[in-house]
Amino acid sequence: MTPTTLHISATILFWSGLAAAFLVLARLARRTPSSSVGTLFLALLALATIAMGNAITFAKSGLQLPLVWPVMPFSAWLAAASFAIALIRTLQTFIQVERAERRARFQAAILWASLGFLMVLVYGLDSENSVKLLTGGIPMSIPLVLAVLGLALAFILVTVATNWSASSRGWPLAVARYASLLVGSVVFGLPFIFLLITSFKEDRDMSSAGGIVWVPRVQQTMPLFDKANPLYEVGHDSQRLKGVVVETLPQNRVRLEILEPKSMQGRTIEAAHSDLKEIPRNAHLVTLPTSAGGGRGAVVRELEDGKRRVRSLTTGEETDFEPAEVEPIREVGLRWQNYPEALSFLPPETRSGLVYLRNTLILVVLSVIGAVISSSLVAYAFARMRFPGRDVLFGVLLATMMLPGAVTMLPQFLVFRSLGWIDTLLPLWVPAFLGTAFNIFLLRQFLRGVPMELEDSARIDGCSYLRSFWSVMLPQIKPALAAISVWTFIGAWNNFMGAIIYVNSPEKMPLSYALQLYMGDRNGEPGLLMAFTTMTMVPVLILFFFAQKYFIEGITLSGFGGR
Amino acid sequence: MVRRAFTDYYARAGLAVAILCLLTSGCSEPPKASAKRDLVIWGVLLGPDSKGQEAVIHEFERRHPEVHVRLLSMGAGRMDPQKLMTSIVGNVAPDVINQDRFTISDWASRKAFLPLDDLIRQDIELGTRPPVREDYYSGAWEEAMYEGSVYAIPSAADNRILYWNKGRFRDRASELRAAGLDPNRAPRTWSEVLAYSKVLTEFGPSGEIVKAGFLPNYQDAWLYLYAFQTNSQFISPDGRRSTMATPEAAEALAFMVEGYDQVGGYAKARAFESGFRTQSFNPFIIGTLAMKIDGDWNLNALSRYGPHVDIGVAPPPVPDDRLARKGRYEGEKDAFVTWSGGFSLAIPRGARNVADAWEYIKFASSKEAILLEAEAQRKWERHRGRTYIPHQVANREANEELFRRYRPADKKFAEALRVHIDMAAASRTRPATFVGQLLWSEHVRAMDSAISHKASPMEALRAAERTVQRDLDAHFERERYQNVSLAVPAWIGAGLATFLLLGVITWYRRQRLSPIARSETKWAFLFMSPWLVGFFVLTLGPMVASLFFSFTQYDVLNEARWVGGKNYADLVGSDWLYVKKSLTNVAYLGAIGVPLGIATGLAVAMLLNNATRGMRFFRTIFYMPAIVPAVASASLWIWVLTSDPSKGLINSGWVKSLTPWLGIAPPAWLASPDWSKNALILMGLWGAGSGMVLWLAGLKGISTSLYEAASIDGASPTKLFTNVTLPQLSPIIFFNVVMGFIFAVQEFDRMYLLSPSSVGTIGPDDSLLTPVFILFKNGFAFFKMGYASAIAWGIFAIVLILTLIQFRLAPKWVHYEADR
Repeated sequence: MTPTTLHISATILFWSGLAAAFLVLARLARRTPSSSVGTLFLALLALATIAMGNAITFAKSGLQLPLVWPVMPFSAWLAAASFAIALIRTLQTFIQVERAERRARFQAAILWASLGFLMVLVYGLDSENSVKLLTGGIPMSIPLVLAVLGLALAFILVTVATNWSASSRGWPLAVARYASLLVGSVVFGLPFIFLLITSFKEDRDMSSAGGIVWVPRVQQTMPLFDKANPLYEVGHDSQRLKGVVVETLPQNRVRLEILEPKSMQGRTIEAAHSDLKEIPRNAHLVTLPTSAGGGRGAVVRELEDGKRRVRSLTTGEETDFEPAEVEPIREVGLRWQNYPEALSFLPPETRSGLVYLRNTLILVVLSVIGAVISSSLVAYAFARMRFPGRDVLFGVLLATMMLPGAVTMLPQFLVFRSLGWIDTLLPLWVPAFLGTAFNIFLLRQFLRGVPMELEDSARIDGCSYLRSFWSVMLPQIKPALAAISVWTFIGAWNNFMGAIIYVNSPEKMPLSYALQLYMGDRNGEPGLLMAFTTMTMVPVLILFFFAQKYFIEGITLSGFGGR
Repeated sequence: MVRRAFTDYYARAGLAVAILCLLTSGCSEPPKASAKRDLVIWGVLLGPDSKGQEAVIHEFERRHPEVHVRLLSMGAGRMDPQKLMTSIVGNVAPDVINQDRFTISDWASRKAFLPLDDLIRQDIELGTRPPVREDYYSGAWEEAMYEGSVYAIPSAADNRILYWNKGRFRDRASELRAAGLDPNRAPRTWSEVLAYSKVLTEFGPSGEIVKAGFLPNYQDAWLYLYAFQTNSQFISPDGRRSTMATPEAAEALAFMVEGYDQVGGYAKARAFESGFRTQSFNPFIIGTLAMKIDGDWNLNALSRYGPHVDIGVAPPPVPDDRLARKGRYEGEKDAFVTWSGGFSLAIPRGARNVADAWEYIKFASSKEAILLEAEAQRKWERHRGRTYIPHQVANREANEELFRRYRPADKKFAEALRVHIDMAAASRTRPATFVGQLLWSEHVRAMDSAISHKASPMEALRAAERTVQRDLDAHFERERYQNVSLAVPAWIGAGLATFLLLGVITWYRRQRLSPIARSETKWAFLFMSPWLVGFFVLTLGPMVASLFFSFTQYDVLNEARWVGGKNYADLVGSDWLYVKKSLTNVAYLGAIGVPLGIATGLAVAMLLNNATRGMRFFRTIFYMPAIVPAVASASLWIWVLTSDPSKGLINSGWVKSLTPWLGIAPPAWLASPDWSKNALILMGLWGAGSGMVLWLAGLKGISTSLYEAASIDGASPTKLFTNVTLPQLSPIIFFNVVMGFIFAVQEFDRMYLLSPSSVGTIGPDDSLLTPVFILFKNGFAFFKMGYASAIAWGIFAIVLILTLIQFRLAPKWVHYEADR
């Protein structure tokens, strides 16, 4: 036996033993009326196989849970799966009593087997394909052993508890269910947590050899007046600017180079010397090397040759150090500055992104209004009014649902172009006012469900069609309208394809497109990017929490709920 | 009562939204200087690295107080032609565009840019001095010309040279000496660079690259560089033939393939490269990459992040024969050659403010402005404690002057800049042809497929050559096809519509409706009018137009020509490999992604079905990913999937579990052709939890009596699932499968977000290419309306066939309650 086959057989032994052990526990838990001798035998077998499985791998590399994983192309997986199913069907052929059943199983087995051969053929056609068997194992560290033992103990305890009272019969299953739900929600929630944490991290924490940094730390600073190159604050056009003097002008005026806000960084303005107010810089705190006396220091200035000028906080002396010599002092905390900084890189005409938000809101509000009004009107005509050709038109409506957007994309561009609507938001929301096939279809189904008597009585009272539609029918389909509003909201908030085709100027861009451009520009600064991403996400998430009912229950309205 | 509550609800929501709108709009109306003329400039990235550019713009505004400059500062218009083209076609073009120079002839050929000859002539007549050919490096000026006219004024210039890490060479000095190589000098020839690379590459325990010697295409070399070194030209001198598949070019590509094979293959190299997203982890600076070919722009990063790294520079290595001037290189003037590119300023057709645009271009490309920009940038860099290293410009005199004035104090950087400037004379530029962008795309694709061993160098180049030739032929043979006026289909359509309308009206007349029915019909049509308008204007009309376009060659800016079935023939003919690739991609996504998505949703629903406590909480968590906007989700997942385990969420977990357990190195996900689709499927699964809502509704709909009956018969839980739950849910499964496949065929957004460039490959080795992406590229980046429409109809046909097949198969497995 080669080491690989040995390992594979050990793995199979081990895991089947584990499965058997689980079966024993499950049997005990369910108290299935079965012979205790059988259970005992199974338990012994389980223990033996686990021991055997481990014994083989143990000799090689210490105590571990042996693992085997085949690496093979998709066709090979399909072939393997087909053969497995064929095998099961063949076995069933022998077990089945009825002739017809037997034949059906046999036919299925042949079908699956031939599919398997076909896949083998496909696999053979590609010369690059190869199947590899990876062997290895999970090393049993002490925490892992403890965790496994703890789990087993908990399982046994629960099982015993179940045996005590009949009322808690379903416990093991419930425990397993909630455990899987918890694991699932961690998996689904992890990207969100990653996003949030990253948006509060300093650049230094973005990558580390030990894996993801889950606890962000921030650089400690202290206010420091730099006599040699003081920082000033000055009012200018109702803005507070921070900058340094680059030139002294006559008449007690100076030229100031702006450092903050970032959108004006590097520009110079003139100001009267009397208007300037000296403010401290936020100097980074560092630990000085022992060669320089140790202790804490504050970085006075970053020098042109890459060195940092550090003032010792104990002696007050200023020395130049290489960046690697002085270790920054950082403490656990959130770098919330990523958020304002992310916004400060946006073009000035977008007013820190407020214009994007406004555009998206316009888009969303108009789309929702349009979708609700037009779709319900059209749906009302289809659902409640009688006119020749109605069914043909409805068929056409349903057919348009099938049409891929790609077919009409280009000519639609030409239509909007001839209207002069390029670089406006019009092409993004006007179509909502013309009704959407799916919305119309859904509302029609709902309107048909409204009792006829309601509308009839209104009509007898002399209501016009419009009036009975507005006052009688609409209130009846509120849930469906809410669902449509919510979908349209999400659709409009996410609409990004429309924006890349139709919108060009920054002051007309919706958030989605702005974020896409931001992704390209600030690729190297995950902190800023994640902060901006979070900001575009938050409004939808807030809406979701408040209107959760309509989001989730709306889906079930789509025709399958009341099946 | 009911009514009041209803209107109240809407009124309140409306009020809240209105207030929000007012709030945001009130404070956000940009200050409009009505007296000023707007000058819109695109392709300028604002930020801390372009303070000099800002200074030039401020100075221009100061000198022309009546002009207000507006910049599209974010991304668009730089390398991505789609945005610029849509704006030109849509009559909202910017006034000035900062455009990659090699694309100029492409734009000029489609009449998308204004020729500048008249403006230059006018200036000469007036006695002012416009930019002229003599001021520029000849290659740069040539690149901005098309058919004898000047279409742009070159601004920046760049070229590539070899950077080598002397420290790394010293570390491996004994090994290098053992291999007969001198550790104190840079390689000069291809065989030398490969020999050095071999010694300088080190692998980790699971075969991953830890330190690389030389990656032929790291940063910015591309096949162009090596092809220029073998004297290959991708286009024949008369511009009519694509000559990519020559032995010389194949030799160059073969060198790249060998370079990658030496470091363990392209996949490993990509995994290695994709680990370095930020400059502070630049592999060349931290010493994990010994040699690279790069342009002068990287000097800024070097001086900032690695001022003390001992770097050396040299001209890029050339073929051995070239250095020895043997064989076909006999009598060659330049032993070393490199390729040069850069940007230039142009005026798009339809610009509203041509006069100011020209003034701006003249000012921005003047020596005065170049020096002003340099001075402003230098001051800014000094201010933030960084060294300033000037960028190269296409203006010869200004380039030398920049070096004289702003030569870096650090000798090694000064030397690097000197080598760059000296190589400017020996640089080659990409051919000035209208297929420039396609040539670029195809050359990238050929390179990708050769170095990942999907094809031999010659095969890959042949495929690229064919594609380029097709476009050349289409252009030169366009005269063969007849002009077709777009009025014809419009008239036919109008005629048909009238005919239809008359028919409908007479039909209604014949119906002899009662007055009440007539009024009801009138009202019904009034109610339906929004949809009818939408149907005719946005669906039926465009469908007819699209069908018509699919038989023409039409780019909106020029007249359409009737080409018959050529577009469809190309789709399944010369472009078939490309189309097939996109179809295999969506087939993969559909075949694996759709079932997995269904399984995920169903699994979550099964878990939640009986859990009453905490149901709301779990439901929220599982549903949340589905409402995250696609762009935000892409932005997040690019980081989650980063292959570097020190940053990527998934791979950091992978190296702690699967790698030590089974010895599987983490995949490069989006950076690997084999894994990028799996990455997309994973992203899709994250949002698939929301599907549980539908499944939950379905599960609730299954009558408990079925389960009870089966349990009494002694069915096990698995039996219950396969024989009761699944058949009962089969209509929903069917619905999801149909919708999933239709959706998969039409995928585009996610691919665009993950690989936003419409140039080059979509994902590594086109692994993220989809049919709609091909349509988008052809339609909106090149405005090949005809070809794109043919693709659209192809997609329609596929969707239709898929749906029909599934409806055919449905009776075999879908179980409907009503059937019994």
